[in-house]
Amino acid sequence: MLTQILINGILKGGLYALMAMGMSLIWGVMNIINIAHGSFIMLGAYTTYWFFTLYGMDPFVSVLLSMALIFFLGFFIQKYIINFVIGASLFITLLLAFGIEILINNLALLFWTADVRSVQVTYGGANIEILGAVIPTVRLFAFLLAIAVSVILFIIMNKTWLGRAIRSTAQDLEAARLNGVNVGKIYSITFGIGTAVAAAAGTLWAVIFPISPTMGGHLTLKSFVVTIIGGLGTMMGPLVGGLSLGIVESLGTNWFGSTFENLISFTILVLVLIFKPNGILGKKE
Amino acid sequence: MAERKVVLEGKELTKDFKGLRANENVSFKLFESEILGLIGPNGAGKTTLVNMISGALSITSGDVIYNGRSIKGLKPYQIGRLGLIRTYQIVKPFPGMSVLENISVGAMFGSKDKVYNSKESKEKAEEIAVFVGLSDLKNQRADQLNIASKKRLEIAKALAARPKVVLFDEVMAGLNPKEIDSAVHLIKKIRDTGISIIVIEHVMRAIKAISDRIFVLHHGVKIAEGEPDDVLNDEEVIKAYLGKRYKQLVS
Amino acid sequence: MKGTLIGFALIIIIGVLVPFTAGNFAIRLATDIVIFAILASSWNIIGGYTGYASFGNIVFFGVGAYATAVLMSKAGLGFYPALILSGLIAGLYGFAIGFPILRLKGHYFAIATLGLAEATKALVQNLGLTEGNSGMYLPMPEMGIDASYMFFYFNALGILLILLVIMYFILNTKLGYGFVAIREDEDAADSIGINTTIFKSISFGLSGLFTGMAGSVYAYQQGFIKPEPVFIVTKTVKMIVMAVFGGVGSLFGPVIGAVSIELIANYLSEHFLVIHTIFFGTIIILAVIFAPKGIMDIITARKKIGLSYFLENIRKNRV
Repeated sequence: MLTQILINGILKGGLYALMAMGMSLIWGVMNIINIAHGSFIMLGAYTTYWFFTLYGMDPFVSVLLSMALIFFLGFFIQKYIINFVIGASLFITLLLAFGIEILINNLALLFWTADVRSVQVTYGGANIEILGAVIPTVRLFAFLLAIAVSVILFIIMNKTWLGRAIRSTAQDLEAARLNGVNVGKIYSITFGIGTAVAAAAGTLWAVIFPISPTMGGHLTLKSFVVTIIGGLGTMMGPLVGGLSLGIVESLGTNWFGSTFENLISFTILVLVLIFKPNGILGKKE
Repeated sequence: MAERKVVLEGKELTKDFKGLRANENVSFKLFESEILGLIGPNGAGKTTLVNMISGALSITSGDVIYNGRSIKGLKPYQIGRLGLIRTYQIVKPFPGMSVLENISVGAMFGSKDKVYNSKESKEKAEEIAVFVGLSDLKNQRADQLNIASKKRLEIAKALAARPKVVLFDEVMAGLNPKEIDSAVHLIKKIRDTGISIIVIEHVMRAIKAISDRIFVLHHGVKIAEGEPDDVLNDEEVIKAYLGKRYKQLVS
Repeated sequence: MKGTLIGFALIIIIGVLVPFTAGNFAIRLATDIVIFAILASSWNIIGGYTGYASFGNIVFFGVGAYATAVLMSKAGLGFYPALILSGLIAGLYGFAIGFPILRLKGHYFAIATLGLAEATKALVQNLGLTEGNSGMYLPMPEMGIDASYMFFYFNALGILLILLVIMYFILNTKLGYGFVAIREDEDAADSIGINTTIFKSISFGLSGLFTGMAGSVYAYQQGFIKPEPVFIVTKTVKMIVMAVFGGVGSLFGPVIGAVSIELIANYLSEHFLVIHTIFFGTIIILAVIFAPKGIMDIITARKKIGLSYFLENIRKNRV
């Protein structure tokens, strides 16, 4: 029984980790908290739904297309909207992000209605047994894909020229500029990558849970919690934070009941912020 | 000769950061109504020392005695209310407020020995603006001042807080020679009202003109303390500033 | 001083005239506007004057609403005692929780307040006292329909006026100067002898007190409350947008912001039912990009406002 709970927690945690990765990247590099983060997850979920429903594409295949589409959307939003307020005070940027969230969510409501939808893949009912715990196969695949995307992101950030440029921009804006890095373009690319990763998380969400245009807000908050717990500034942070939160939530809801899920995660958030604001792995500012 | 009163004393002050010892066993005495110059090359630990005295940084070991009582462990605002005020190397006026409002804040708060209500504070602020020579600019926004006026404002704010001791952290940096002379004159005027002052400085011209005594930090350790002429001609001090090359030049 | 008196006069005159020149629907709208004005002005205390941008102020609204529901329907209190107690409860909540939370700065503080709001909502959803997710009923006001519209309107207006008057006085005293000093430079404020910890908590507590009272009026007016609407995060966004739109850190800015935004939103929802929220989102984006200092800045600016004002705003904030 305990194994089942733990494994459920780990699987959920992997999904949480992927969700948070995009937010953590944007936050770490551009010092922007993307309040609209959940909206991009939602968009990823919906593109997956439409590829599946209209063209019969398997989500695990169309995820790449979704990511590409959302990458360009994020890129343009950063370049032509967010760019205008990057230098402004904190709540100005937060407000802008809220405005974008409202815009995207309501456009989605307009075009796709508030009906709840889901992606029912043919193998959706299959289960697999690991260590005595019964797991739906889709969840396992989703977990594996989350890990795969994380690894790819890690490779990009650490082994490519682009990753180096992004990291140097995060560390020292002026120094990066002096080294010939086109900071504006890096910002747009980073935002694009962040939203693309969020879209991937949305794809995985869609195969497991039902989706609706307003699903994003809740997920943005969850991503905060994960990012804070894991700590900013490292790629491993969201992974550690996501897994931790997934396991704690799984244990907690098992003991106290599912209505306590939110109470648990947000109390943890507040406690972590008060006592260890740099998170488990975060670097000291 | 009458025994001069010690208003501030540092006893074997040590500050460790993770793996770095910024100050080691620094001891000093500040006498009443004197100007003590604190000098040393960059990175010598001067601002760290000031931060320990003012409560902004915790003290790893040692003590700070102010008017006979230990202030180790007190919070910055508590130390401020005791009449020990510091200024900042990178000046910190309240940017959106006017010069007069800035000085008023100093008068409203500061030493709890004398408490002004908000009306009295504004009157006091006017007086101080005159004393430091900022009367003409009193309604200017603080972030629109030039560097010399900003430094003057920093001094005015500190004064308004009714200090017994002031720590001026590089208040001359960025000033031209004429402005430096003005600042020296102002600080001496302040000392003459009975306030005891520690001045951290790099500008040699100012230090020589202003200090009654000088003490020198190098690599976090005190290497000299005494009359300006003695200290500034001390071989160790000169070496610290010019480095090993001086020894080679001389020999 | 003169501007302030004009501002108060306008609010009182317009405020008193509205209900007598319009029907119940308009009074209801006006009540909503006044409640938002209270929310925005309260946010202004901690966010505008003290510089701590709270994104979870809605928590006090919810606490005030639920405190009133519990006090009136379970403890049998009358509205006015419940109103005052609810305000005090919300205020004390803010004051106490302020100690740990206000040690955080910038983004971390904003998120902590969001987490606080969500955690408090989750708590209310799981507590027997507050009937969990089922919602709570409040007693009906013992008066006719028309009278009740006036009742709620004038109570809200009264709270707004009290808030503004108190703020006006505070801003000229040490407390107010302390708040602003903390916003401008907290280190310098510390060094000069300001106990920033207490001051910040007082600011947060005051913010909570009035927000809680607004929640109290709302709860009694609605007659039935559930956790989700009274703790809804988008309302916090709305109050901040109103404060920013009107002019953060000015006394009447948030009021102007609340009036403008609510009127615009109401007009849009009447005429463009389907897409009014889309317009709303677009307006937020445009306002934030072109006029981040708000309407008050435009009203009180000495220099001429032309195209260059808006372009200057863009240029200043770009990468």
